[in-house]
Amino acid sequence: MTATIRRLAGAFGLIGALTVLSAVPASAVGETPGTCIFEKVLEAENDYGSVHALEDPANKDALAAFEQELDTCEEAPSLIIPEIDEIIWGGGAFLILFGFMWWKGFPAVQGAMQARSEKIAADLDAAESAKTQATTVLADHEAQLAGAKAEAAQIVEDARAQADLVAAEIAARANEEMAQMRARAAADIESARSQAVSDLRGVVADIAVGAAERVIKSNLDIDTQRALVDAYIDEVAASNA
Amino acid sequence: MPDERLDGYAEALLAVAAAEGRSTLLEDELFRIGEALRHNEELLAALSDSRFPIERRQSVVEDLLGDKASAVTTALVSMVVGTGHGGHLPEIVDAMVARGAVKRDRVLAKVRSAIELTDDQKARLAQAIKSSTGTDVEIRVIIDESVLGGLVTEIGDDVIDGSVRHRQSQLRENFG
Repeated sequence: MTATIRRLAGAFGLIGALTVLSAVPASAVGETPGTCIFEKVLEAENDYGSVHALEDPANKDALAAFEQELDTCEEAPSLIIPEIDEIIWGGGAFLILFGFMWWKGFPAVQGAMQARSEKIAADLDAAESAKTQATTVLADHEAQLAGAKAEAAQIVEDARAQADLVAAEIAARANEEMAQMRARAAADIESARSQAVSDLRGVVADIAVGAAERVIKSNLDIDTQRALVDAYIDEVAASNA
Repeated sequence: MPDERLDGYAEALLAVAAAEGRSTLLEDELFRIGEALRHNEELLAALSDSRFPIERRQSVVEDLLGDKASAVTTALVSMVVGTGHGGHLPEIVDAMVARGAVKRDRVLAKVRSAIELTDDQKARLAQAIKSSTGTDVEIRVIIDESVLGGLVTEIGDDVIDGSVRHRQSQLRENFG
């Protein structure tokens, strides 16, 4: 802070020095060589009516004096070293200005700079806090991301395990259904075979019984019928004995 | 048909047969007619069809029986048909023969045969059945050619099947 004040003081000193050095001589204040010449020309015209009137041999002395004055005008004032009174006035003004600035400007600037420094420090603190917070948030996000990745991996793993389980169930079910189909097919085959055997037996029975019926009918004359009735009666009677 | 009415008709038929003094013959003829009607649904339905006049149905009965049954039997059947109960004639006849057998202290035995049985065969069969059941039976023969040969005796719910048809069925089952 002190260095800043020093730099400000140096800046004001430099300004004052430049002011002093840029001061011009009092004689030259508001008067340039051109202006001087112009004024001299105006004076000659006032005195003689015209500058050309000085060319008259009668005004030879006046012409010499005029040329002397012009030569005087042509002598340039010092551009670096001001007049003493200018230095006094300029220095006084500078001191007044410097004092005023020291009295009012410096504290204001110092307060502003102090406030700015505090603001910057606060901003730095806030930035630090924000950075810390951002770091925390980043860490949280990274943790969440890691958790999410782990969860995603777990989900994928669970899905894979579930898929394996479902595939195993499907395979088991397919095997079971296949076994059932085979059992049904075997049962159907056995049933068809049994039915075919039964049908064949039925056909054979029909043929045999039909043949027997034909034989019996051809031999069932009245005597045979009576003999069958008698045999029935004897059988009933015998069963009672 | 209510049992009371059926029994009434059965009792009436028995009374007429007894009054005529030919109970055995008349009961036997009525029993055969009842069995014939039981196995001829079209004729049974025609005898009870109210779309035909009663006289027409009675004339059908008389034409069918003609000289195949006694006049009393034909008149009794015509009487039942005339009262509009021709469709119940088999049940009436069953009740009649059962009641007649009971009155004679006997049990009705329906015997199916392919041929007519002689009196001797009937007597011997009745004696054999009596030995088996301890009860006197009254043989009623139904001519049924489907038995082929032998006899099938039904006494109540008991059946003694000694028919050739039954033997054939057993033979068929043994083949199966």
